Amino acid sequence: MTNNATGSIKIVALTPLGDAAAGVCDGDFCAVPEHHTQAVVNKKLDEDLV
Amino acid sequence: MTAPIKVDIWSDVQCPWCYIGKRKFEAGAAAFGGDVEVEYHSFELAPDTPVDFEGTTADYLSKRKGMPLAQVEQMMEQVTTVAKSVGLDYDFDRVHQTNTVISHELLHFAKSKGRQLEMKERLLKAYFVNGEHVGRIADLVEIAAELGFDRAEVSDALTSHRFLPAVKADVALAQEYGINGVPFFVIDGKYGVSGAQEAESFANVLAQVAAEREAEPDSAHKRSDKEAAR
Repeated sequence: MTNNATGSIKIVALTPLGDAAAGVCDGDFCAVPEHHTQAVVNKKLDEDLV
Repeated sequence: MTAPIKVDIWSDVQCPWCYIGKRKFEAGAAAFGGDVEVEYHSFELAPDTPVDFEGTTADYLSKRKGMPLAQVEQMMEQVTTVAKSVGLDYDFDRVHQTNTVISHELLHFAKSKGRQLEMKERLLKAYFVNGEHVGRIADLVEIAAELGFDRAEVSDALTSHRFLPAVKADVALAQEYGINGVPFFVIDGKYGVSGAQEAESFANVLAQVAAEREAEPDSAHKRSDKEAAR
């Protein structure tokens, strides 16, 4: 993976790809997607923390 | 031979999903295996945050969002667990909640030296893992000096705010794209990928772009033999 090369960016309408429920920060609120929440609960259960 | 796939990433230093997303993207790019060129762009999640906030990140978010402290702490614990899964030891108890605009200026300074990726990694680690302050010039100069940058040059760049217009230009560009949250990945100038996706998702998008390029017989992305030989 190489370091950046600054250049002008042509703005086009982007085609969205990927999981729409991926973790993202909007403003200063960083929601935890449900699948991560469940994974954390499962991990705690595995570790007998719940 | 084709030119590297360009990936423009909008991100903030104080964005927990951005560091996690960085790790997942790096894993995805490695799995893809082709040439990828990354350029980070500035995004300020909370530009009205003071440089010095007295209190914990949980206090800050609880006050800002009007959420119960226990709920905020639970969310941070969940994010910490996800971070751990990609090898990052987040320590929210030591985080200095701050305004990140000057750290973005430092990122642009580093970019002007061709060392943006190194600085990006160092600043994210400073904020989430090391508990360093990334909002004050003196602290940022120390971080830059540790990476081998010239103290006087960094100090001059940050005190003069020479790179502030570049930061604001990145933020404006994000608005033009309609980017509301980060991390946000613009891949090959046409695909928008939002959030800390799984590594496999990033690998799939990169493979898709590579396949599309291969399918274009006279693609502008393909280097001439002469260019490839350089």
